[in-house]
This record gives sequence, structure tokens and C-alpha cells, in this order.
Amino acid sequence: MFKAQQQSKFEPSRDNLAVQIQRLNYFFGAGDLSKQVLFDISLELPKGQIVILTGPSGSGKTTLLTLAGALRRLQEGSLRVLGQELVGLGDRALVNIRRNIGFIFQAHNLFESLTASQNVEMAVELTGDFASKRQQAVAMLSALGLDDRVDYKPQSLSGGQKQRVAIARALVNHPKLILADEPTAALDKKSGRDVVNYLHNLSREEGCTVLMVTHDNRILDVADRIINLVDGRLESDSSLNAFVQSKTKDSLTDISADMFIM
Amino acid sequence: MLKRIPLAWLNLTHDRRRFATSLAGVGFAVLLMFMFNGFMNALYDSQLQLLNRLNGEIIIVNRLRTNMFVPRAFARRRLYQARAFAGVQNAYAVYISEVNWKNPENRKSRGVRVIAINPDEPVLNIPEIDTHRQALKLPETALMDTQSRAEVGPVEAGVISELADRQIRLVGTFTMGTDFASGNGNLLMSDQNFLRYFADRGPEEAERSFATVDVGVVKLDPGTNINRIVKTLQENLPNDVLVLARDGENGFVIRERKYWQENTNIGFVFSLLTSMGFFVGIILVYQILYTDVADHWAEYATLKAMGYRNGYLLGVVLQEALILSVLGFIPGVLVSQLLYTAAGNATGLFFQMTPERVMNLLIATFIMCLLSGAIAVRKVQTTDPAEVF
Repeated sequence: MFKAQQQSKFEPSRDNLAVQIQRLNYFFGAGDLSKQVLFDISLELPKGQIVILTGPSGSGKTTLLTLAGALRRLQEGSLRVLGQELVGLGDRALVNIRRNIGFIFQAHNLFESLTASQNVEMAVELTGDFASKRQQAVAMLSALGLDDRVDYKPQSLSGGQKQRVAIARALVNHPKLILADEPTAALDKKSGRDVVNYLHNLSREEGCTVLMVTHDNRILDVADRIINLVDGRLESDSSLNAFVQSKTKDSLTDISADMFIM
Repeated sequence: MLKRIPLAWLNLTHDRRRFATSLAGVGFAVLLMFMFNGFMNALYDSQLQLLNRLNGEIIIVNRLRTNMFVPRAFARRRLYQARAFAGVQNAYAVYISEVNWKNPENRKSRGVRVIAINPDEPVLNIPEIDTHRQALKLPETALMDTQSRAEVGPVEAGVISELADRQIRLVGTFTMGTDFASGNGNLLMSDQNFLRYFADRGPEEAERSFATVDVGVVKLDPGTNINRIVKTLQENLPNDVLVLARDGENGFVIRERKYWQENTNIGFVFSLLTSMGFFVGIILVYQILYTDVADHWAEYATLKAMGYRNGYLLGVVLQEALILSVLGFIPGVLVSQLLYTAAGNATGLFFQMTPERVMNLLIATFIMCLLSGAIAVRKVQTTDPAEVF
């Protein structure tokens, strides 16, 4: 599945990359207790792709996601997000990067004291656009099918509705990059499907890049590309079809990771 | 609609019951501070009630009378001498003595303070003297302080009892309050009656006459420079008396207050108790804020991930602290007002809630809440948004 012609589909210029990771190593802990969780990761995500990051638990998926989200400091390697190198940036600069990224968490993390609209407005306020914050929030909630739940507090919303409010909050500022961690894990099949469909549509309409960690096989079909991470190493990187048709292990053995560096 | 979402307010008030409990907690801390502070001030202020009613700009006392408790009199001649100076309009005498009053109901004797003046002279700013002037001139009559302690029995016109083993009749009441020197209460009578009771109380008691005066009250002509006259009088009168302005920094009233501040543990004890109330408040508010931060930990971390800075979250916690301090202060001060009245009635002490004292405690409450906020904020600052994934 790592054939050159498949890779060539994703051969964009450097400007066209939402995320560019080069030779990244990451360790937890310090000194003798330090444990390496990511090994020599090199990865490029072009703009507009929906990428699913999958792999067994403990493989470092979430760590990679938080690194790309500028939530952790890079130790070794290079990481460019939305055209900006994260290595060597100060805290304030990292916060500024984060404002261009939409985060969707496994839990909805909505303030119980705020209405759906207010929760979304909290994100709009970051842009300093106070005058139209309500409009923007309502528009985004409507796009997610919540137009009749705008002024409800989270406790009167269902699990799927809450997760959609959280997605509205992540998307309302039209981020160029969306990072999602198991967005469907807490949802039933239908709600999960709906949420993924919304993500898919919005990604197509806004042209934003989605990097999603999931174990949920039911939603693999929305992905343009599936990356499999095992024990902190890139195990495979393929298009959806290739992943599904997955080839025999023999043909993989002589392929080195260097081939994937674009 | 250029307004931010008031996250601090909404988070605090979301759970009504918890919000009410929080306010009650802050209010209780405020109440503690008010009560201890109130007792301290009441003990000091009470000492000054008689002094503040002396109707003159300058006070003359025996040099050995370092406070009102010391029974030292000076020669009345000094008052006549003082009258000779230009600018002095008059000099009045106040006679004070401690004596037993018999409670007419249970016939137990209690010490009270007798204050005697010439009822025709405006010596004291007590309006009831004018109302009862004629009655006071009758033999064996007196006015009693309504703020006297309950031990003296009923305080009303018409009560007949014994003072210094001699009959006395109350012809009215006035309102002043007790202090350390007054024992269980104050009696006010004419100087003539004072002689009737105290001129000859037997071999063990000092004889009193008009020859000696306890406190001299000097009334000046309007517009006279008080400090200049004080200086002149002190230089020209014999050294057995001390001449002081009534008010002002080195005045008689402040001197009395300073005496009790410097010679008793009142200040230390009640300041300690007040600061304990302060620390109880810090702990209570810290608990409230910490619980809020801990309960909304994931939400605050999400805000950080979205791009909110520590400064914003710090602002939210400090706003919560300020809201708690202001809203908790209001019930605290109202309940304190009620308790001040109740405590004043029970003790006869003079509890007053001046705007300055309220402001001071409001500021103390602010500081209390901000300190707890500053401690609780550390929890938010260490919140790592990477951990919510």
C-alpha cells in the first residue's frame, strides 16, 4: 500500500500543507525515567484532507494529536502547523497557533452554566468579534441541526446534541485544521454517524484539514487517508481503499520509513 | 452587544443552592470580623461617651488623673483663675463619685457612677438635663442612664431607691452608656444634691465638697484660638492641673482612648480574633473557588486549548472572588448591624458602625477574597490542556 503512485496523489507543495512533521521523537518523563513514545515520525497532511489516525491504545496517537495542536512542546524533530514552525516558539505564540485550530474532545467539555449558544460564543470572543458573535454561533449551530436548541443549557441536551455543540464551538471560527480525539466514542451509532457526516461536509465546504483519532471502524469511510500508529511508529499510511484492500505483510517488510517522507 | 459572556458570574450562580451556601460562608466570615472589630471599638468608644458630652473646648483635670478611672480631684480655685483669661467665657465644674445604688427590686447593692453639675449651667450636652432642670433642683433627685446594666433594676422616672444608704428618687432618664469607670450605670444629679450624698459619708469615705472638682470644662468665646488658650492656661495655672484641648490629636478625648489602647489587652485580643475571622474567610472562599475550578477543570482546560490565555482564566477566578466578597459582604453587614444593636442593649456598651469602619472591613473582605483567589488560581494555571485529550 505504500506504492509510489499512491503517494503521489498527496504530493503537494510545501505551502499546501496543513501539518508537516519531520523526524519527530517524543519522550515522556525526564532523565532515567524518560520513556520514548513516538519514534521518528515523519508525516505530511495536505490541506483539505480528512485523515484518520488509528492504532492500538498506548501507541501514541493522542500524543501526536496534542503535539500537532501545539498543546505540547516538541523535543526532537520539526513540526510545522499551518505554515508555522512550532519548534522554539514561546507560550504566547503557541496560544496564537491554537486559535487557528479546532479541537474536538472525546468528552464535550461544555460549561453547564452557559447555553449552547454562549458556549459557542466563547470561541467567537477569541477573535474579538463581539458584535456578531451571537449570529455566528447561531449560524454554526443551525448548520449542525441545532437551530431549535440554541438557548438550551447542556443538561437539557442529549449526548449527541452536546457533542454537536462542542463541534460547533470547534468550527465556528472556521479553523484551517481540526483535531478530533474519539469524537464518536461517547455516542450511539446514529449520533456518531451524524457527527462524522457533519465533519465531512464542513471539511469539504471549508476546505479544512481534519486529523481524527478513532477506534470506531464504522466511520472509517469518511477518511481520505488512514494512518496506523503502532508502538509509537508509523505502521502504515494509505488511502481508504488501500487500507481496506490491505496487502500481504510480505510486501511490506522491505519498505523503510524513509519512503514516506515527502 | 459588545459584551463578553460573564463566565465568572454564570459559573458562580449556576448552582443556586451552592451559590447561596457560598454567600452564607463569606457572610459569616464578614460577620465574625464585624463582631470582633465591633467589640474592640465598642470598648474604646464607650470610654469616650462622657468626654464627648462635655460642653467646652478645653478640659482641666488633676495632673495625676491619667484616665477617668483615677479618683483625683483638683481645687475649684483653678476654674476661677481660668475665668480670668481673655477668651475664656466660662469654666464649669463636674463632680464625679462612685457609690452604691440599691436595686429597688432585689435590694442588692451595685456600684454606679454619680456625675454632678450645676443644672443652671450648660456643662454637658445632654438635652434631658434641660427637660428635668426644675426636678433636678429638688433635694434627693437624679436622672439615670437608660443604658445602665440590668443589675440596677428598673430605670424610669418615679423609681425610689437608696443611693449611699440615703433615699433617692429618679425624676427622669437620659441616654449615655456604660464604660469601665461607670460600674453598672450612670446617675446624673445637681451639685447641691451631690453635697447631700457625698459631703459626709462616714469615717472611711473621702469627704467631698465644692472645694474640689473632678473635671473642669472651659467654654471659650466663639472664634478663639483653642491651642493658644491651652498654652496660656497651662503656663499660668499652677502645675497641679493639666490643661488639654477636648478634641484634636493631643486632646483629652484621644488621650483617654490612647490610655485604654496602651494599657489594656483589648486591642491585641480583638485584633487577633478579627484576623482569625479573616483567615477563616480566606479558607472558606478558597474552598469555594477551588471547588469551582476543580469541577470545571476540563472546561477550563478546553478554553486553554482553544486559545484562551492564563490571564483570562485568572481574571475569571478573581472576578468570582470579587463577586463573592461584595455579595457576601451585604448579608454580613446587615446581620452585624442587628447583632450590634442586640449586643449594645445587653452590655450598655456603645456599638457604632461608622462608614469608615464599614469601608475598612469591606476592603479587608476584598483582600480576603483576592488572596483566596490568588491561591485557587494556581490550580487553573497548572491546568494542562494536553491532558483533556
